[in-house]
Amino acid sequence: MNTRDQNICLWLVPCFGVLFAIGFTIFPGFVPPLSPTLTAEQVADFYRQNVAQVRSSMILLNLIGIGFIPFFMVIVVQMMRMAIPSRAFAYSYLSAAASGGTLFALADLAWLNAVARPERDPQLTLLLNDLAWFSLIAPVGFIIAQNLCLALSIYMDARAKPIFARWVGHFNLVTALLMAPGAFAIVYKTGPLAWDGALSFWLRLGTYALYVAVMFFVVRSAVREQALEDEHAVAMGVAA
Amino acid sequence: MSGSALTAVAAPSASVETLRLPSRKLDQWICYWSIPFFYTLFGLIFAALGRIMPPPSPTASVPDILEYMQRPGLRVGMALLALSLGLASLSSGVIVVQMKRMEGVSPALAYAYLTALAVAGVPGCLFPGFVFALGGFRPEYAPEIHVMLYDLGFLSFVGSLGCFVVQYVVFAVAIFLDRRTIFPKWLGYLTIWALVTELVAAPIWVTRTGPFAWNGLLSFWQGTAIFVGWEFCLCVCLHRAIKNQPLEELGCEG
Repeated sequence: MNTRDQNICLWLVPCFGVLFAIGFTIFPGFVPPLSPTLTAEQVADFYRQNVAQVRSSMILLNLIGIGFIPFFMVIVVQMMRMAIPSRAFAYSYLSAAASGGTLFALADLAWLNAVARPERDPQLTLLLNDLAWFSLIAPVGFIIAQNLCLALSIYMDARAKPIFARWVGHFNLVTALLMAPGAFAIVYKTGPLAWDGALSFWLRLGTYALYVAVMFFVVRSAVREQALEDEHAVAMGVAA
Repeated sequence: MSGSALTAVAAPSASVETLRLPSRKLDQWICYWSIPFFYTLFGLIFAALGRIMPPPSPTASVPDILEYMQRPGLRVGMALLALSLGLASLSSGVIVVQMKRMEGVSPALAYAYLTALAVAGVPGCLFPGFVFALGGFRPEYAPEIHVMLYDLGFLSFVGSLGCFVVQYVVFAVAIFLDRRTIFPKWLGYLTIWALVTELVAAPIWVTRTGPFAWNGLLSFWQGTAIFVGWEFCLCVCLHRAIKNQPLEELGCEG
């Protein structure tokens, strides 16, 4: 089997990753993150004063928002190559990835609507701003389920030469744990768990970025390995 | 490349033989046990902590709505939901594996089941959860915003119908067409009944009082009772299906 399609999906990761970083940097409310303690009037002022930056960054993020989905599907393909008794974890992973992507799309819509009408009642802008932050930071359950399924699959993979090394399983569990506190951003307005806090914002998003970067190299070597094995299998077939 | 890796490629089922015997269905059992675990948590979140189930009245007064939104349990519950909703994906995973064992049924229905539920999680569960949490997070919102969040939360939670309609339809059709009886036919009929409860919930979008309101006898209580019964029977039948799956079938083809 040809692995060209998987390689294309893989190389979308650095492309979208760079665009993500650009969008993230242009949005004036990420560095530092907007505080949840701002009043409605302050939030409305923020959107009125930063129309161009909010629009350009969020239109960009709208276009590429679920750009890692092809990458996650390469992971599904690699999970299906593992020697484990069934594909239950691979299907679960696929489902969780789809649900998780929806939330980011929702966050982006809320941000773009917050800036769409500067004269809007500040209470409504505050509502859209809150919804956007909730949807970006809190729905960690899906990526946790993905990482859990992948880690368990790695531990169960009985191939003589496993698709992923065991440390990749540990890495998936640890990163899932580090992102978990983000769920509590919908409870606290101040402190490390608030959406602008050390745990919910910096650790959560930093871990995600590191996770995708490390997994890019891990998955790339698995796909390379698959290409080698397939070449070998073809050669053996021809010899026979 | 080592020869042993080649063997694994050439004959994946051979390498499965090397798995320890008790663990041969371990992946399916993990997914399986996530179902009672998740629904216990779901009960804790929506009934005990959130008091979203059973729902308060659609005709509640504004002060009652404001008070309802400000309970800390509501937000804590929704944070736990954001943390754990991914577990719902694991139940789809193992049901798809079992549906794909059916004979005379293409995997199309199994994939439709998986996709319908992947969609359903957001409008039917997490989005209303966030909407409720928003109300609790911001006591300073104007009262009319709290009232809108209250409506939006309950209407989305009880009134997200279509994703579950597709889930039930494809599941029932698959059970009826299956010549291998992976799941018993009576589970198919029960699934049709569960499907009907989604139709019965449709009037919540129209009426605010009586049996068809979002807290009504038919729309909420009947629907919830049948859903709980259906989920319980699904667990029993799924347990049997996994247990009865012949070991030779295990491998990478599921």
